[in-house]
Amino acid sequence: MRVLKIHPEKCTGCLRCELACSYMQTGDYQPAKSVIRVSPFEGHTSYAPYTCTQCAEGWCMTACPVGAITISAVGAKDVVDDRCVGCKLCTIACPYGTMFYDPATRKAFKCNLCGGAPACADACPTAAITYEDVETADWLGDFARERTARVLAEAR
Amino acid sequence: MARRHLIIGGGTAGMNAIRTIREEESERSTITLVSAEKPYSRMVLPYYLDRSIAESHVFTATARVLADWGVTAQLGKRVTALDTAANRCTLDDGTAIEYDDCLIATGSSPVRAPVPGADGPGVHSFWTLEQCRGVLAQIKPGSHVVMVGAGFIAFTILNSILALGAKLTIVEIAPRILPRMIDDTGAGLVQSWLEKHGVTVRTGAKLARIDDAKGRQRLKMAAGGDIVADVVIMATGIRTNLEWLKASGVKINQGIVVDDHLRSSAPNVYAAGDVAEGRDLISQANAVHAIEPTAQEHGRVVGANMAGKDVRYRGSLIINIVEVCHLDVASFGAWDDAKAENASGVKADRPAYRKLLWRGDRLTGAIILGPSSDIWTTNDVGMLKGLVQSGVSLGPWKAHLKKNPFDVKPAFIATKTTSSLLPETILGRPSKAPGESPVAV
Repeated sequence: MRVLKIHPEKCTGCLRCELACSYMQTGDYQPAKSVIRVSPFEGHTSYAPYTCTQCAEGWCMTACPVGAITISAVGAKDVVDDRCVGCKLCTIACPYGTMFYDPATRKAFKCNLCGGAPACADACPTAAITYEDVETADWLGDFARERTARVLAEAR
Repeated sequence: MARRHLIIGGGTAGMNAIRTIREEESERSTITLVSAEKPYSRMVLPYYLDRSIAESHVFTATARVLADWGVTAQLGKRVTALDTAANRCTLDDGTAIEYDDCLIATGSSPVRAPVPGADGPGVHSFWTLEQCRGVLAQIKPGSHVVMVGAGFIAFTILNSILALGAKLTIVEIAPRILPRMIDDTGAGLVQSWLEKHGVTVRTGAKLARIDDAKGRQRLKMAAGGDIVADVVIMATGIRTNLEWLKASGVKINQGIVVDDHLRSSAPNVYAAGDVAEGRDLISQANAVHAIEPTAQEHGRVVGANMAGKDVRYRGSLIINIVEVCHLDVASFGAWDDAKAENASGVKADRPAYRKLLWRGDRLTGAIILGPSSDIWTTNDVGMLKGLVQSGVSLGPWKAHLKKNPFDVKPAFIATKTTSSLLPETILGRPSKAPGESPVAV
């Protein structure tokens, strides 16, 4: 299956992925509605986007009491709007923090790989987000460990 | 391998077991479901109550879906006796059913406060679909609804009652609201928030009796200050449905004691959901959780084991989330562990609150509260769950989180929590989608 592969060292923090994602998902250019989130590291000198890994368990999907989260044709866990009642069980079941909830529509939403043409990867000018046929993985762990040393030193 | 499966109870645990049996079995078996009610999800009743969904939306399997799954359904019936030596159960209409293995998933029932008048007209429980219909028929715009009990169940329907245009008073005997879900600080913030949104909250308030007052209900409080209500909803707790099992010899403590495969003490008898006393992920001790996510995981593990697989269950994590007037309130794991190290942070103006609890450098529990419009609240809810569930060693991030309990994300990412979570699945394989039409239309 093709997944979103993140290359954090290439991210410039331009937030185009968030704009593209929010537009694709909700019709608004509004980073607050994006399901890919760019995080700053090292006092805003490094950045990395973070989104759903389309994990094997699909904690959101198995938790849904009405079967409103399914697997789409491209293998993404996808919320079926007509079935979602907005109970938020998926937001607490997902251990990655990649479920979202829109108070206006009272629906949960998440990365669905834009049906096989992810807008974030398309919008990224540095190829920090690519859509590839690879095993999903922890793309940010090593990068974040290295780029958070200063924050941790300050905490001591 | 078992050829005849018997599922007792059509709730979350039972239905997940049935679906998993069909997913996992190598040869087609027979499945009989005995359920007092048509299968539906209690979790979504609040959304039927506020009329945002049709009643048909609550059902988890219609007659057609059950037929598609090849399930022989005995609906509207109850099992009255289980003979574990003969592998046979008896229904309330006298029918006997033999099985090769069986799942007990009979769930819980609501309990009312033991006061005179608690069973009178105009006093409702909110647990079953039938009771939901009863409440729905009574609440009118401007009705004064009094909720007795301020626990999780009560809070799941709070928004719905307000959305119907009713005036709401909450009466709780404990000194704080949500006593089994959040701590004093969190409860205080939620209470202020509710009061700001027009809800009257009376804590430490003991109900003495309920009298009929010309079609309305007069709630006599032990310390005085009567309340007159149009509709009374009793949400004063639940108890597991196990009375019928007393003579069966199945070992029962707080619930049916089960091992790491969800097997009871009786041969070929499993238990799941509210009635099961299974392993808690954090304490590793047996406990009754009586929450939806535990019922779902239990049901799937039992289904796989009934289908001949060998699935060991890692234990369940207590997770609770409820939204009241656009404020998210959630807690995880051992949030009330008095012996744990902890740190907390409050932003009273938003309001937002975090409490994190540790044993060693592992997060073992958390409370989180914040506006549901804050993306980071929702994201942090998930990441805190991931930290508690994975039990990753936080190392130097513990000190960071102690100082900055709102800065969860860098700790989550840099401790490579994703790496430890990704291989984890409940059944040892990728989950399957709910299917083309497993849910009623």
